[in-house]
Amino acid sequence: MKLPFTPTTLFEQGPHLEILICATRIEVIEGRAVGLEFPEMSVRALVDTGASLTIINPQIAMNCKLKQTGRQKINAVGGEAGEFPEYAAAISFPGSQLPSLDTTRVVACPIIRQPFFSCLIGRDILRKWLFTYDGRSGEVEIGA
Amino acid sequence: MAAEEKALQKELGVFEQHKREWLLKHLGDFVVIADETVAGFYEDYESAFKAGLSRFGIQASFLVKQVWAEEPVYLIH
Repeated sequence: MKLPFTPTTLFEQGPHLEILICATRIEVIEGRAVGLEFPEMSVRALVDTGASLTIINPQIAMNCKLKQTGRQKINAVGGEAGEFPEYAAAISFPGSQLPSLDTTRVVACPIIRQPFFSCLIGRDILRKWLFTYDGRSGEVEIGA
Repeated sequence: MAAEEKALQKELGVFEQHKREWLLKHLGDFVVIADETVAGFYEDYESAFKAGLSRFGIQASFLVKQVWAEEPVYLIH
């Protein structure tokens, strides 16, 4: 998947992409059978090599009715620090060949320092990808 | 206290109660706990979560937690 940036927009905004977040596939399928709806949300996500885990804004967890599976201790430089709820989510990448993540954990923590984004894709997801960043040309490529 | 903070308190208590014994055999594994029922240990989060759904159903609450001696603190820069 190639992300179309100019060197300036890549410098100013960082590498980002549109993703779809929803409850896991099993929950969606089994939920339908009993009349439960799990909404899907399209959000702008920043690929953040400084984040060890993937972070979403808390409102997304609420809107998508994600299932909480625990809490995680997060130390955010210059922002919130403490324990935050962890959820199971599915993440997909519309318009790309990148494989969807059917069940991945995300932590709901207000993204204060990056108000342009509702999700930070952390190194837990990056460990599944080949991520190429060329600041000179503005080319960013993600392969799985 | 927000609902998210109150959630899974009992399960976290069960985890703390058993943590020392689990460290010997299940270090790094993900345990699944609902109420006071321990559903098993799994190599990764995805397997553990799916096992929890299969065992307890999609409407139940359950904890998925990795067994560590000390809780990791994740950094967000």
